[in-house]
Amino acid sequence: MALPLKYHWRHLLSRRTSTLLTVLVVSAVVGVFTWMVGFALALRGSLAVADDDHKLIVIKRGATAESNSAIIPEDESRLVALSDVATDAATGERLISPEMLTQVSLPRLRDAGRTSANVAVRGVTPMAFKVHRKVRLVRGALFDLGEPQIIVGAAAAKQFAGLEIGSTVQLGSSGNRPYRVVGIFSADGGPMESEIWGYLESLKNAYGRSMYSSVNLRLRDGVDPQNVIDEVEGPAIQLSAWTEPAYWSQQSGLIKAYLMLAGSLIAVMSLAAIFAIANTMFSSVAGRTREIAMLRTIGFSGRQVLAGFVIESVLLALIGGILGCAGAMAWLNLVGNRKDMFGMSTFTTMAFEINPSPLMWGCSLVMVLAVGALGALWPARRAAALDVITALRQV
Amino acid sequence: MTLSYVLMQNLRRNPLRSVLTTVAFALPMAVFVAAISLVVGLIQIGQSAAKELRLAVHHKTTITNSLPEGTRRKIEGLDPQGRRLRAVCGMRWFGGRVPNTQNTLTSLASDVDTFCEVHQDAGLTPDEEQAWLRERTACVVGRIPAEKHGWKVGDRVTLESTVPPYLSLEFRVIKIMTEASRANYFYFRRDYLVESMNQVGIEDSRCNIFWVKCRTPEDLRTLQRDIDAEFANTPDETKSEDENAFGANFVQALGDIPSLMQAMAVVVVIVVALVAANTMMMSVRERARELAVFKAIGFHSRRIFAIVIGESMMLALIGALLGVVPTAALLTMFPVRRLGFVPLASLEVSPIAVVGSIGIALLVGLLAGFWPAYQALRLRTVDALRYLA
Repeated sequence: MALPLKYHWRHLLSRRTSTLLTVLVVSAVVGVFTWMVGFALALRGSLAVADDDHKLIVIKRGATAESNSAIIPEDESRLVALSDVATDAATGERLISPEMLTQVSLPRLRDAGRTSANVAVRGVTPMAFKVHRKVRLVRGALFDLGEPQIIVGAAAAKQFAGLEIGSTVQLGSSGNRPYRVVGIFSADGGPMESEIWGYLESLKNAYGRSMYSSVNLRLRDGVDPQNVIDEVEGPAIQLSAWTEPAYWSQQSGLIKAYLMLAGSLIAVMSLAAIFAIANTMFSSVAGRTREIAMLRTIGFSGRQVLAGFVIESVLLALIGGILGCAGAMAWLNLVGNRKDMFGMSTFTTMAFEINPSPLMWGCSLVMVLAVGALGALWPARRAAALDVITALRQV
Repeated sequence: MTLSYVLMQNLRRNPLRSVLTTVAFALPMAVFVAAISLVVGLIQIGQSAAKELRLAVHHKTTITNSLPEGTRRKIEGLDPQGRRLRAVCGMRWFGGRVPNTQNTLTSLASDVDTFCEVHQDAGLTPDEEQAWLRERTACVVGRIPAEKHGWKVGDRVTLESTVPPYLSLEFRVIKIMTEASRANYFYFRRDYLVESMNQVGIEDSRCNIFWVKCRTPEDLRTLQRDIDAEFANTPDETKSEDENAFGANFVQALGDIPSLMQAMAVVVVIVVALVAANTMMMSVRERARELAVFKAIGFHSRRIFAIVIGESMMLALIGALLGVVPTAALLTMFPVRRLGFVPLASLEVSPIAVVGSIGIALLVGLLAGFWPAYQALRLRTVDALRYLA
């Protein structure tokens, strides 16, 4: 028979101040941990959506991203000739989408417009919806090809000011061409959801551009993307091509560095939490020497005593964990769960939301259990290894 | 029997607890000193930027929309006698990267004549200023890219632009800028860029940003208003911001690391306070009898109070030193700026941060010891002596 849970619970209650202080230490660390895991998962989630390896993004050689690439229309016609590009079953058209990328500076809603973000504006043709399969209209209508109209990604609409359906955004090289928002689109939470889309010809005109920024291709099923990339980068075409996942992983270097920094800080803090728990548990063991000896005398094994202390410590950590998670939730609700991240080379912003998910709670739970168990291990072993006779004799 | 002797004996009595507490204190303090260093560094950059009294004038739509070169003359025309503005310097984004590397440098082509006046924090000596004016390919490099790529004054360096028309230009380094606010920049002459573009058949002398150096903070505010009013309802509407407001847009977009660090610093203080308080509570509880003996043999309450508070502060001090000193040494020996991670580039441990961290740790020790010390004071000598713990 193991020691009843009630026994541990009562013990935690009997040493109230010490328990409370330790619980608070754990909760502070777990709170920050949960927030960071949420942040990392939100980013990963957004980037994981961009996983279409049969979509190629072709940019100018030497450019680092679509926003600083310029492709002349003749190059596009050479790409049309690639045999591995898919064709539309109904119309027989080649699935190839020339696009233009520019930016507009819009106030962030989360700090009430104190700062602004560069939001990507993409000029596309109707073909884009067949190449970017995940993009679909969720509200309103598609932009009219003859009118200055735009549609807005759902993430952008939530985070930046002035993107509701019906409002107008000033675009163009001089920022004096009003475009009306007529629809909201989703990209299953991928990076394109932070963009604004309009008709390519209309935007080229507004920005006085004759070149494209990128050409996006859909490849036929079963084609090895690497072969096409080699062909595009070869002597005949001399452009640079990326599959969608490769492109976004290259663009998110800053994000990875950020997560590494945050991760190492939280690792140090978790280590400190383990030491804090160990400290409390040692004191608990020291204060209960006779009691432990008594338990051993009436038949509990050393292993059971060890397990008992680990359980007590995990219980302690769990209370702290629940408090910490509640704190992180309150923080997200109070301060806001919206964040955006900037690509140093793209000069545009990716917006995302930190939402609680089972995975986030799972990570926090594992961390709490680990902190509790690791913190208890050493003191619990000391308790289990207690010399019963000496301990009983102790006053 | 001196107070410090009692304190040392007490710490040595339960060495395991002292060690655990010290480590639990030292680890968060290591995070704290790094976090506070970044915050202090950014505040210093902000203050020095505010002192420079520069206004950033860029296109209202985004900074990537360019403004005509003539904008400079129009801005100067707002104050022909130069009573409010000292100089205007136009800059164009080059976005150069070292061949075969991925990172784009914050590289800008700058007006030749006004660069030194507008960017006094670049710290060019009169000789260096002469070199800048004389050499067409001169470049002035912040120490972050310089250290990363091993550039020294006199070196010839090549950058490939990542924006159309993707020029590859060669420069000669004439100055390494050490000032924290300039440490990440790469400046070169705009006339060199314009000529190089002409050579490939492109006529484009537009700029992305105009820095306006003002005389007083008051002038900065009035110029900000006047410049935006001057260009309102023209094809090239402007947005003028002071240097810190301009920088805030980027800080937000880079994941807002300063806020993260501030939040970490607050959490750390809470954690170490709880750790210290917990240890002192346990320590006082177990030593109730001993403290009662002290009282019984005539120790002043004040002395008892000092013993408990002193122990708490001693623990805090040792923990802080163990956490702060190695971190500070490590960050000084291996500066984070070498990682080339821009948002952290200004993370440098300053004496203020070290002293501040240790000061905060002592304060935490004082506060954490307060409640246990009060309990020790309230201790009823007779009860405690009778109590068998």
